[in-house]
Amino acid sequence: MNSSRCAACKHLRRRCPSDCIFAPYFPSNNPRRFAYVHKIFGASNVGKILQDLPVSYRGEAANTLCYEAYCRIKDPVYGCAGIVDQLNEQLKVAEYQLATIKAAITTTLQPSYLLDQSLHML
Amino acid sequence: MSSGNVPGSGTGGGGGPCGACKFLRRKCVAGCVFAPYFDSEQGAAHFAAVHKVFGASNVSKLLLHIPPNKRLDTVITICYEAQSRLRDPIYGCVAHIFNLQQQVVNLQQELSYLQAHLAAMELPTPPPLQPQQILVPVSQAILDLPPIPAAYDLSAVCGDVVAPQSAWSVYPRQQIEQRQFSNNATPAAVGVGGGCDLQELARELLNRHAPPIVGCMNQASSLPPNSS
Repeated sequence: MNSSRCAACKHLRRRCPSDCIFAPYFPSNNPRRFAYVHKIFGASNVGKILQDLPVSYRGEAANTLCYEAYCRIKDPVYGCAGIVDQLNEQLKVAEYQLATIKAAITTTLQPSYLLDQSLHML
Repeated sequence: MSSGNVPGSGTGGGGGPCGACKFLRRKCVAGCVFAPYFDSEQGAAHFAAVHKVFGASNVSKLLLHIPPNKRLDTVITICYEAQSRLRDPIYGCVAHIFNLQQQVVNLQQELSYLQAHLAAMELPTPPPLQPQQILVPVSQAILDLPPIPAAYDLSAVCGDVVAPQSAWSVYPRQQIEQRQFSNNATPAAVGVGGGCDLQELARELLNRHAPPIVGCMNQASSLPPNSS
């Protein structure tokens, strides 16, 4: 039995068993981490998600749940989907800029353009 | 946000239970918070996913704290996240974020590379792009979020959720420029000449198409080397 409770059991005000599903991923030194996931997903749902995964994947799952929960708290309406939207916009802008530059390069490499430039160098 | 995938509105209290109440097997009262967003047909299936991941109680509290005119968007995004999480229990919708972030970084690297070559060719630049648009860092909103240092490496995430420095802006402009000017730099796909050196191509075209004018040849040969 852990001598100190994990953040989850502290939050839930219960004894922290030795096989606590939360303990490896919600250490007591970061109470906010569990508070966020508990607020958005609920302890029971988080526990079920972790329980259904192989142990080797639970750490990543806990981290992504934290991230999603934090995004949702920060932006209650759009959550992570808001970030997806922003990134899609950035992608469009970057693609447009890339197309513009490539067109410019193609133009500057046209023989007539280069000839014109060389004549201007005289 | 498209509402195409959101179930039509259900009914509350009047013509049968909404999808949420149908799923929960409870009486759908007038003013049910879920009724406008989960109809009694497809809504039940959508709500099942939401309930499994978030829980009806949590979603109800969330919706009640949001103005009514924003609740539809909230439900749409909640459904999206719930279904993503059920499809991918480990990463959920965060996998999509990683993927997009990587695409943005790749494109920004390619942009930086091409810009550097344009500048090195000392040719008139195309209609100038706003500097802040060229290598626009990931949105400031993302910088406020916990850092994700590397794709699928979230071991440091949420260790301190109020991180002062975000790793979302993984490739600051200076680093990209230094990398691209190194001899061993492997440029991203340029799309012009399959990655061949643009200066060499410019010189070749100049020599091939321009009359053999000494000044021009000297100018061409004095083009800066492709690496510094």
